[in-house]
Amino acid sequence: MSVHVYIPTPFRRATNNKDRVEARPGDVGALLDELESTFDGLRGLVRNEAGEIHHHVNIYVNSEAIEALQGLKTPVRDGDEVTIIPALAGGV
Amino acid sequence: MIVTPDEQAEIRRHAEADYPSECCGIILVRGSSERHLMRCRNLQDALHQDDPVAHPRDSRTAYYIDPADLLRASRYEREGYRVAVIYHSHCDAGAYFSQTDKRNALFGGEPAYPDATYVVVSVGRGRVIAGGAFRWDAARRDFLPVEFAGFAA
Repeated sequence: MSVHVYIPTPFRRATNNKDRVEARPGDVGALLDELESTFDGLRGLVRNEAGEIHHHVNIYVNSEAIEALQGLKTPVRDGDEVTIIPALAGGV
Repeated sequence: MIVTPDEQAEIRRHAEADYPSECCGIILVRGSSERHLMRCRNLQDALHQDDPVAHPRDSRTAYYIDPADLLRASRYEREGYRVAVIYHSHCDAGAYFSQTDKRNALFGGEPAYPDATYVVVSVGRGRVIAGGAFRWDAARRDFLPVEFAGFAA
């Protein structure tokens, strides 16, 4: 078992076009460390240099946004599903 | 065909119902015939109210799709759908792809949805009066208009 991570279209250029990857249980911060270590192109796309998640990126564990949980310390367990979604916005 | 006649009618209803706020939504497509139009919630007013410095615009001139809707769209993607169309309205302004639209359609300097068509509808005095469609041109590294006959007044 592992944590299932869903990669939506905007991030796939950094994951060799993979839309699903597996990660070890732990917490969201460690999961991002693992992803960035595997896919170097993800560095800077999800978090800034201070390690904070960009304000235009949302991360969900199962169906809960992590800001409503414990942020980067949110636990992720075997079988959990993590989704990383960038904002979609615009205007005149 | 970028949007079907039924989708065009639905986008028109959405844009006119939400006026004078910008509407926004996504069309997901699987294979050659399965299509799902998803109206999305525009969170721009809530963002503006919470932090008018970071978000100086309200929904009259901007849209910000509720991330919960994007999570919903991602579930469709998992089932083999792809984001084919991203639409929004401009209120009392033309159906052009603005600098804001272009800037926000890029993610890390590259198009967030390189294969999607962005549809913009112009709503004047509460009625849809024009539409435009735009796609990423990799050679020119810009979003350029594509032929689109929809939303004539």
